[in-house]
Amino acid sequence: MTDWAGRMAGDAPPRALPLLAALLAALLVLPAIVDSYVLSIAILVLYFAYVGQAWNIMMGFAGQLSLGHSLYVGLGAYASAVLFVHHGVAPWIGAFAAIGAAIAAAAIIGALAFRFGIAGVYFALLTIAFAEFTRIGFDHFPWIGGSGGLFLPVARHGESEFWMLRGPPVMFYYVILSMAAMAFAMCRLLMVGRIGYYWRALREDEDAARALGIDIFRYKMLAILISSAMTAPAGVFFAFYYNTLFPEQIFSMLRSIELILGPIIGGLGTLFGPILGAFVLTVLAEVLNEVLAALGWEIPGARQVFYGLCLLVVVMYLPEGIWPALARRLGLERRR
Amino acid sequence: MIDRPLLVRGPRLGRRAFAAGAVALAGAGTARAQAMLPLKIGVLLPKTGVQAFFGQSCQRGADIAPALLPELGYQARFELMNADTETNVDTARARAEKLINDGAHVLVGPFDSGAAGAIAQVAEQRGVPFVINIAAAPQITEQGYKFVFRNFPTSGMLVTNGFSLMKDMFAATGAMPKTAVFMHVNDTFGQANRAAIERLFPSFNMPFRILDTIAYDPAARDLSVEVAKAKATQAELLMVVARLNDAILLVREMVKQRWEPMGIVSPGSPGMYEEQFFTSLGKYSEFIVSNVPWYNPRSEVANLLAQAFKKQFPNDRMIGHIFNVGFTFEAVLGAVDAYQRARSTDGKALAEALRATRIEKHVMVGGPIAFDAKGQNIAIGSAALQNRNGEPRVVLPATAAEATPVFPIPGWTKRG
Repeated sequence: MTDWAGRMAGDAPPRALPLLAALLAALLVLPAIVDSYVLSIAILVLYFAYVGQAWNIMMGFAGQLSLGHSLYVGLGAYASAVLFVHHGVAPWIGAFAAIGAAIAAAAIIGALAFRFGIAGVYFALLTIAFAEFTRIGFDHFPWIGGSGGLFLPVARHGESEFWMLRGPPVMFYYVILSMAAMAFAMCRLLMVGRIGYYWRALREDEDAARALGIDIFRYKMLAILISSAMTAPAGVFFAFYYNTLFPEQIFSMLRSIELILGPIIGGLGTLFGPILGAFVLTVLAEVLNEVLAALGWEIPGARQVFYGLCLLVVVMYLPEGIWPALARRLGLERRR
Repeated sequence: MIDRPLLVRGPRLGRRAFAAGAVALAGAGTARAQAMLPLKIGVLLPKTGVQAFFGQSCQRGADIAPALLPELGYQARFELMNADTETNVDTARARAEKLINDGAHVLVGPFDSGAAGAIAQVAEQRGVPFVINIAAAPQITEQGYKFVFRNFPTSGMLVTNGFSLMKDMFAATGAMPKTAVFMHVNDTFGQANRAAIERLFPSFNMPFRILDTIAYDPAARDLSVEVAKAKATQAELLMVVARLNDAILLVREMVKQRWEPMGIVSPGSPGMYEEQFFTSLGKYSEFIVSNVPWYNPRSEVANLLAQAFKKQFPNDRMIGHIFNVGFTFEAVLGAVDAYQRARSTDGKALAEALRATRIEKHVMVGGPIAFDAKGQNIAIGSAALQNRNGEPRVVLPATAAEATPVFPIPGWTKRG
């Protein structure tokens, strides 16, 4: 336990731990002090922080660009929802099936790509292709609702709300907060462990990493398997929070892009990047909406323009993302 | 995003006999209604994203309501609070929460089943009535919700209404095709229609047999093979579920191959009554039939809506928006009507009033606007639109007809 805690703390700067504890405390008491609208935004921020963290393992840690992560969200969502709708299986159990489905898909993609040397943009195209043909397949699969969608029954009387994830938004808030906290801890462990160093080595220079004796195929496979396994529970959450699933929406390319914007803007390969990115994109876009509303302006697409501008500014002025620059200013850089 | 509320104040006397009647119906409640707080209606529509065109089109229906409802005798004050769902389920849910936080007493929207499912949960949790304008997934009203009301047919109702109208057309013209071929675009929409048709066809006792079902690629540039295959079946009727571009290709190819079935009928799809269909095909667009939910040209409210639309949006042709405008206007109408009877902005009182809704005079084809125990309006009908003189004209049901149906249709070479 001490060893585990020691590894978690690792090279973290002294200020980081109290700040992290304060952030966690604030998040824990948030539902008591905000209204349901702010709570719904907080749920979105944590959801995107979670999936951003999962995607960050692939791109930020291991340098493999996946543009089809909606595949794992969708598979996770459908696996747990189908078990719930057709067999009454609780999502906590369904989550294992969800993770299994995502791992199976990731294993196929990974084996195809990494065994045959598909890398870079070609790997990205492969991930898009898998998400797309899964979407088309699900569109024509009547047992899971096909293109007409799968609707989860909202009321499950006589059963525990928590066990069946049929509760109020506050319950979902704490579920996604726990998931985000666990994802953070897990990424931290991965990052400071041997696997994290191997991933970063192959991200920086694959040939050099191979020359040093790192089994490239193995560690790339581990990256995609862990990332997909982490992403699948986000799908479970999505399914039970929104209660409607449409292949066209959940497997769409747009959703994949939405998932990766947070870590890119926040800071690829960092732990706080996905969280900060999710916060910036979701909260500031809402603030922008509020400002425009207060001014009496209705500008359709303002949020999308805002996303584009954020991306532009980050690419031009903060190519490492917002977090590394912010961490330097706050004195939260890692100890060397 | 949410813009400033549009406040409608005070009564304006209605015009003509209809309005006078409606004012009389509103009757004694008027004075009290004016004293009530304005009803805040949160209008959730996809004004950006892939459904932007439809969301913006629907918005016109809501925007017309403040000017038109007082003319129809509705004296209750109301405000519209507009929000953009961005064609995104996450955003739809967050916007619904925001609108309720900002004081919306009732929600209207959202032109999409996924968004409707997400908003319905918020409405239910917050005890705020939600009147769905357009969303066809049957499951939305099967969840046991108490605050969700839908004034739009389910996908099953759409196909059922389409088949009924086909039978009515055969009965009205005395011409019965014995065989049919079904061609459909091979996308989500086409597949969903095919599934509904395959499920419902056996129970409908139609006079024809379906000889073959032919699917084609939505991005097809050439349908010569598919049309040749359909022609080879020697079917007397072509049933087609199409989009716009493929519908144009299909008819062009039929003309080229001189295939002249008794009729071309869509049991419920867009494409063949749209403006570009007429401009692209000219005389070959004529006489094709589409069975879809549509406005009732004989309805006085529909005519007032058309006048209001022309006044408010002089650069747009209403025929291109009527589906979206009609259903969205009716959703706002339902909310205001309930408020006028409930005389309260309380969610429960409004929901009770909505449950007791019975609006005889409205825009779309079908019976009075009324909701069953599940919150579904089961009286919504479809109209058989036949393309005549460059416009879709209602030929059935007889109560809404502007013209009599022509069937069998004239051959391609007999059209001047």
